[in-house]
Amino acid sequence: MNDPELEELFADPADRAVVDLLKASRPAAPPLDPHFHNYLRAKLMTEARRTLPARASRSWFPFTVSPKTLAPAMAAVAVGFVVVLGVEIYLHGQTEAPQVAYNIGRIDKQTNVGTGEPIVIPFTGPVDKTAVAESVVIHPATSVTKQWVGQNLVIIPDHPLAANTTYSVSFKPLATPTPAPQQNPIVRPSPTVAPTPVVVHFTTVRPPVAPILPPSFKSASVNYGYDSRLADAGTILSAAWTPTGQVLVTRPVGQPGPGASPSPSASATPSGPPAPKATTDVWLMSSLGTPIRMVVPGGSLPAASPSGRLIAAWQVALGNQVMLGVWDMQGTLQANLVTLGGVPDRAPVWIGEDRIAYVDQGQLRIVDLHGTQASSLTLRVGGGRLAASPTSPRLAVEGADESVILDLRVTGSPKSLPSGATGFAWSSKGDLAFVVRQSANADIKSATTDLYVAADGQSPQKVAVSPDGQSWSDLSWSPDASSLLLATTATNGNGAVASLVLVNRDGSSPTAFGPSSKEFATPQWSPGGDLVLFTRRDEAAGGRAFWTATTTPSTTDSAANQALAEVAKFMQARINGDDAAARSELDSAGLAAYQGGSSSLLGPAGSHFSRYYPVTVQPSASQTNAFLVGVRIFSAKNGVETSFFEEQLTLLPQGQQSVLLPQGHRYLIDAVNASPTMPLGHGPTIVSVEVVQIPPGEQVRVRFDSDLKPETVSRDTIQIKDSDGKVVDAQFTYDPENRLATLAVKLKPGTYQLVVTTGVTDINRVALAQEYDAPLVISR
Amino acid sequence: MPEFEERELVERAKQDPDAFGALYDRYFPQIYRFAYSRVRDQSLAEDVTSEVFFKALRNIKRYTYSGHPFSSWLYQITLNAVADHYRGLHGEVDLEEGSSLPSTAPAVVDEVVRRDRSRRIWAAIDQLPRQQRAAMVLKFSEDRKIEEIAQILGKSSGAVKLLLHRAVERLRRELPPEFEIGVT
Repeated sequence: MNDPELEELFADPADRAVVDLLKASRPAAPPLDPHFHNYLRAKLMTEARRTLPARASRSWFPFTVSPKTLAPAMAAVAVGFVVVLGVEIYLHGQTEAPQVAYNIGRIDKQTNVGTGEPIVIPFTGPVDKTAVAESVVIHPATSVTKQWVGQNLVIIPDHPLAANTTYSVSFKPLATPTPAPQQNPIVRPSPTVAPTPVVVHFTTVRPPVAPILPPSFKSASVNYGYDSRLADAGTILSAAWTPTGQVLVTRPVGQPGPGASPSPSASATPSGPPAPKATTDVWLMSSLGTPIRMVVPGGSLPAASPSGRLIAAWQVALGNQVMLGVWDMQGTLQANLVTLGGVPDRAPVWIGEDRIAYVDQGQLRIVDLHGTQASSLTLRVGGGRLAASPTSPRLAVEGADESVILDLRVTGSPKSLPSGATGFAWSSKGDLAFVVRQSANADIKSATTDLYVAADGQSPQKVAVSPDGQSWSDLSWSPDASSLLLATTATNGNGAVASLVLVNRDGSSPTAFGPSSKEFATPQWSPGGDLVLFTRRDEAAGGRAFWTATTTPSTTDSAANQALAEVAKFMQARINGDDAAARSELDSAGLAAYQGGSSSLLGPAGSHFSRYYPVTVQPSASQTNAFLVGVRIFSAKNGVETSFFEEQLTLLPQGQQSVLLPQGHRYLIDAVNASPTMPLGHGPTIVSVEVVQIPPGEQVRVRFDSDLKPETVSRDTIQIKDSDGKVVDAQFTYDPENRLATLAVKLKPGTYQLVVTTGVTDINRVALAQEYDAPLVISR
Repeated sequence: MPEFEERELVERAKQDPDAFGALYDRYFPQIYRFAYSRVRDQSLAEDVTSEVFFKALRNIKRYTYSGHPFSSWLYQITLNAVADHYRGLHGEVDLEEGSSLPSTAPAVVDEVVRRDRSRRIWAAIDQLPRQQRAAMVLKFSEDRKIEEIAQILGKSSGAVKLLLHRAVERLRRELPPEFEIGVT
C-alpha cells in the first residue's frame, strides 16, 4: 500500500484490496481542449499585468495586431492592418425568440483583430457546436480551421489574414439538422436559427504606418516587453521563424492541434512494408503558440525557405533512414531530395530558393530541388555550423579543419574565416556575424568570446570581446541589422546562468535583454522585429520551454507624426461631415484642388465616408519638409460600406517654410490625387501594390485580400504595360500563403500601368469585381 | 517543487505576473483534472478552472502560507466554484453526506461490463456522495495527505478519514461480484 495514512485507516484486508486497486489505478485523463491551457493563460496574464504591478504589456488573445513582415517589406506593414469583421449569427429551427447563444458584447466594435491569430467568438448559451462551426462563411474567401474551446468558437486562418481588409464572418442558416433519435429523451440544446441575423462589427487597431525613419533596433532603443510561453516544456523540440512571422516547430508525436492524430505518425510510404513509427512531427504554429497545422508527419528539424513558401525537413523513412524532403506550407510534399542513413542532428539550410545544404556522414552536401548534387566541393564539417546568406548564394561553414565562406557563384577556394569561427548569423543585408572563443591557458574560467562582423562582402572585423568568464553564442540579427541578440553564459563558476544580451553591430553598448535570472538561450528575432523567440528554463515543471517576448524599438519621427496628426483631423472632419473643419486643414491650393473636382471632400451624393486609414507616409522627392500621405477611404450607404478609394495627400508646412520645422508648426494639405472607386464585397480585392528595388531590377508585389484559385493568378491576368500599352516581360510568381503575386521586372524610369483583370477569382470562384488599374512610377 | 521554492514563487506571484504564470503552469493540470472529476463535463470544467485561477489572481495578495501547499488553496476555490455552479443550477445545494447530485452517468453495472478495471472503479467513485467523492479523488487521484484534504474540505482530519472509510466500504458493497476484488 506504501501509504502509512491508508495503512492506518484500513486494517480490514478486504478494504485494503479496494485501496490497493485504487492506488494501482488512476482515473482516465479528462478530455482537454489543446488550446484551452494557452487560452486561459493568456487571459490570466493579461489580467495579471493589469492588476499586478504595471509592466509593459500588449493585448494578447484573441485580438492582437502584430506586424509580421517588416524589414524587406516595410512598406507592406506600413500599409497597415485594418480588419473589420461583420459577424452574422443565425439561430435556426425555432419560430419563437431565440435563446441567448452568443455574447456579442465582447467583440462588438472591437478594434484589435490581428492578421495572424485566431478569431474567437464566445457563446454564452447552449449551442449546437458542430452545426455552428460548419455554418461559418468568411468573406473575402479565406481558408480557415474551426475549433471549439469550451464555449468559444475559435476560427484559425490557415494563413495570416490579409492586411487592410474588411472581412465578414457569417453563420449561415443550415439545412434541417438530423433529429435526435426518438429513444433518446435528452433534448440536445441546439440554438439555431433566428428570424433575423445578429450583426456584429469590429475593427482592428489603427494600423502602423511605416515611419520615414525606420525603427531603430540598436541596443539602447529596444526594451524587453513581456513574454509568453509558446507551449509546455518538452512539447516543442525545435522552433524557427518563418519569413511571414509564424513558427515552424518539431513536436513529439501525439501533440494536439487541428487534424492531429493521437496515434504516432508514420512516414508516407505508398507501398511496401509499413513505415516505421516516428517520434516527432513538424507543425506550423502561430507566434502565440496556436498549432495551425501539421505540415510534415514524422518530420523533424524544419527550415523555411527565404520566401516562406517551402519547408525543408527530415522525415523518417524505411529502415533506419531519413528522407530530406521539401513541402509547401500546406504540408504537401513537393520533392523527395535524398535518403540518408541515421538520425539528422541539424536542420537543412536553404541557399536561396533552389538549393539546400545538409551534412551527411560529416560531409557537406548541397543539392538542388531535384535532388541533384549542386556542388562538387568536398568539405568535412563534422558537428560544425552552417548558415546561408539571405542575399546571395554564400554559405558560412564551420569545417572540421577551418571555417570558411563558400560563394556558390564562383569557383575556386573558399574564403577562410578566423580560426574557430562559429555561431554564424547572416543579416537581412548580407552581413555575417560569428564568434570565436578564446581560452587563455586552457583556463575555461577566464575564457572570453570575440564577436566578429563582416559587412556584406568585406573582411570580418572583431567588434567586441565578452567580459572575462563569459561565453557568447546563439547570434541573431535584428531586422535592420543594427544590432545582435546573443546568449551569454558564465564560465567562471559564479552561477552558470545563461541570459540574453543585445549588442550593436559595432560592438558597442551591450545591454541585458530580459531578466537575468531566467536562464534564457537561443534567441531568434522575428522577421518583423516585434518578437523574440527563445528558450527558457521552466520554473514550475523543469526542462526548457520555448517562449516569445515582445520588443519595443523606438519609432519616433516628430515631423511625420505631425503631418499624420493633421491628416487625422482632416479625415475625422470629413467623416463627421464637418465641411468647415475639413477646409481648415487645406491651404489655398488644396482647397482649389477639392473645389476643382480632384476628389470629393465629404463623399459622393447619397453616401458618406465611414472610415479611413493611412496607407503610406513618405517624404516628398521634390519639396523640402513636405510629406506625401496615402489614405484609403471607405464610403458607406445606409450604414453599409460599399466602396473605397485612395487619396494621395501632399502636406506642406504652413507658410511654405523650407527651414527646419519649428516645434508645434502646422502642416496643411496642399494637393490631392484620388484613385478610382472600387466596390467592396464582390470578389477579391487588391490590398496593396508595392514596387521594391531588388537589383538588378524591381519587383512589383500585388497583394490580395482573398485566398485565390492559383490557376487564375498568372501572367495572363496580372500584367504591367508600358506607356505604349505593350506588356512588359516579367517573371511571375504567386505565393498563396501570403496572397501575393510578384512580377520581377527590369523597368526603365517612366510611367507604367499595372493591370489586374477580372480573370482572377477567389477559392469560391468569385471574380474580381472590375479590372484594377494602377499607375507605377519608376524613378531613379 | 520543494516547499520553500513554492513559497518563494507564491510570494513573487503577488507582485510579478510571470511568477503567477509559473504557478498557473504548475497547477493547471491538477486543478482542471479535479474540476472535471467534480463536474464530468469538459465545458464546465473549463469554466470552473477559469474561475479558480481568476479568483486566485484576484486574491493572491491576501493568500498567506498556512503550512499546506498552495494547491490546497486552489482546491478549496475549485470546490467553491463547483458548488457555486450547482447552486446556480439547482438552488442551494445540500453538501451534507449522501446528498449526491443526480448523475447522468450510466449505472455502475452498465459501466463495468464495458470498461476496463481501472475505469470501472473510478466510474464507481463517480457515484459516491459528493463529499466522499471529493475526498477519494483528492486522496487517490491527487495524492493529497489527509490533513491537507481536511483543510480543503473544511473538515477535521477525523471527518476525512470517516469519509474515506465510508467510501471504500461503499465501493466494496456496490462493485459487482465479477469485479473480483480479492484479498491478497
